[in-house]
Amino acid sequence: MTRTVLSVTDLVAGYEPGVPIVRGASLTVREGEIVVVLGPNGAGKSSFIKAIAGLVPIFSGTVMLDDEEITKVPAHQLVRRGLAFVPQTENIFPLMSVEDNLKVAGGMLDRRDMTGRIEEMYGLFPDLRDKRRIAAGNLSGGQRQMVAVARALMVRPKLLVLDEPSAGLSPKFVSMVFHMLADIRKAGVTILLVEQNAKAALAIGDRACVLVEGRNAHEGRADALWDDPVVAELYLGRRHAAGPSASDKPMPEAQP
Amino acid sequence: MNPQFLIDGLLTGSMIGLGAIGVTLTYSILRFSNFAHGDLMAWGTYATLLIVGAITALFGKVAPFSPLSFGWPLMLALALAMVVTGGLALLLDRILFSRLRAKGQMIIVVMASFGASMALRNMLEFLFTSRPAYFSRAIQIAMPVGFGLRITPDQIALLILTAVLVTLVHLIMTRSRIGREMRAVSQNPALARVAGIDVARVVRFTWLIGGALACVAGVMIGVLVQIRPLMGFDMLLPIFAAAILGGIGSVPGAVLGGLIIGLSEAAAVQIVGAEWRAAVAFLILMAVLFIRPIGLFGVKER
Repeated sequence: MTRTVLSVTDLVAGYEPGVPIVRGASLTVREGEIVVVLGPNGAGKSSFIKAIAGLVPIFSGTVMLDDEEITKVPAHQLVRRGLAFVPQTENIFPLMSVEDNLKVAGGMLDRRDMTGRIEEMYGLFPDLRDKRRIAAGNLSGGQRQMVAVARALMVRPKLLVLDEPSAGLSPKFVSMVFHMLADIRKAGVTILLVEQNAKAALAIGDRACVLVEGRNAHEGRADALWDDPVVAELYLGRRHAAGPSASDKPMPEAQP
Repeated sequence: MNPQFLIDGLLTGSMIGLGAIGVTLTYSILRFSNFAHGDLMAWGTYATLLIVGAITALFGKVAPFSPLSFGWPLMLALALAMVVTGGLALLLDRILFSRLRAKGQMIIVVMASFGASMALRNMLEFLFTSRPAYFSRAIQIAMPVGFGLRITPDQIALLILTAVLVTLVHLIMTRSRIGREMRAVSQNPALARVAGIDVARVVRFTWLIGGALACVAGVMIGVLVQIRPLMGFDMLLPIFAAAILGGIGSVPGAVLGGLIIGLSEAAAVQIVGAEWRAAVAFLILMAVLFIRPIGLFGVKER
């Protein structure tokens, strides 16, 4: 069986003590997978992965990255451990050039490695090569997202975590971003993402989990989840063609 | 109008500019106006004075580099005092600002810097009295340099030192890893953490560099004018005006702002009289805030 890259167990987290937003969520991500976290608004999806990335205080539960516990590791040290996070908004340094955005993220690389890695990023995102001297804030939405992802990839993370990479993008860019993620996975990067755009995310994802009120409601293969009428109607906002009897069908791989 | 105001303005402008770099960096990275910055200048100057005294006590009187009024003791003392002043700034952050910053209310930190300013200033008056002190009492003859301008060797040396330091800081900010990290923290502190930047290290470096430059600005005043406990506090208004005129966060802006204010002050002395000198920085500050609050090289806040 493939290696487990991330394993989260019974995570309880939130901004204020005593007010948990994530209330006991669990998740595993295996090497080479794309795992999608879905759920209705306010389900705590975003807080869940921010807690994993060290940005939301964790009250209990554990987060393991490659058999190393990272539950209490501060955000800026997680990069070193191999977890790179791309926030949903304000995920670039707008006044810095594209190249400086990459360089500042590669601070821990030595100079030779940095130059090589920047070249690799331009290979992965050819659009950025021509724009490398331009302030990142002046790029289009899709290109900014490329800068944000390239910045995160600079240090060769074991796991790339993204918070709603398609949020606020026009439909053309949405499909571009998901193609980009599929390509990055092909390049050998394991990916965990939160998405509102369930259809697009499930199309590229291997597995998905649905969070409701800060807990796991369903978990399973991405295609199975999409075809599941109850999950689809309740949590993904999709009206299913099947009649009411469909809801009696047991849910495949669903967890309580 | 006597063109000599150009030299005077350039010198005052250099002192203001060096001070303004520290203020602009502290503001853009730590997000508060440090009103104790002027007092760091005074502390740096007195530290230099003490170290010069110690060197003289150890090695006897050292002849100055002719035609300058000072020799290697002042240069060595300045280098050491830059480190000391940087250390003082760090200490102030550790025991005062960082604790208040953790509470999240920046206005409290600004008020605390007023308090720190008062405490630092009064400690200097207590230790050294308010009588002015001097690095040297030698009188320098200003040399004519054409166009009716005159300049002393000390003034030339200090202008060169300013140019070197400003270039150095600019290169650090644009080319080095710590400079990139400083810009990153000032643009988006949350993302900087996510990108693996040790924000605490960036903050320490900011204090070191701001303190060191404050020390140089103070010593410049000490060499060219005199040393008083209030010397830095009196520069606070022009320094803030320069930082805001240049655009908060911009090192070249702070220097240019300093030069513009220095030159305007020197010109005002000739046009409307010396008693209006102090009003110039205030007027420029008001004008910038009304017309272009982001300053010359500033950018809109997110």
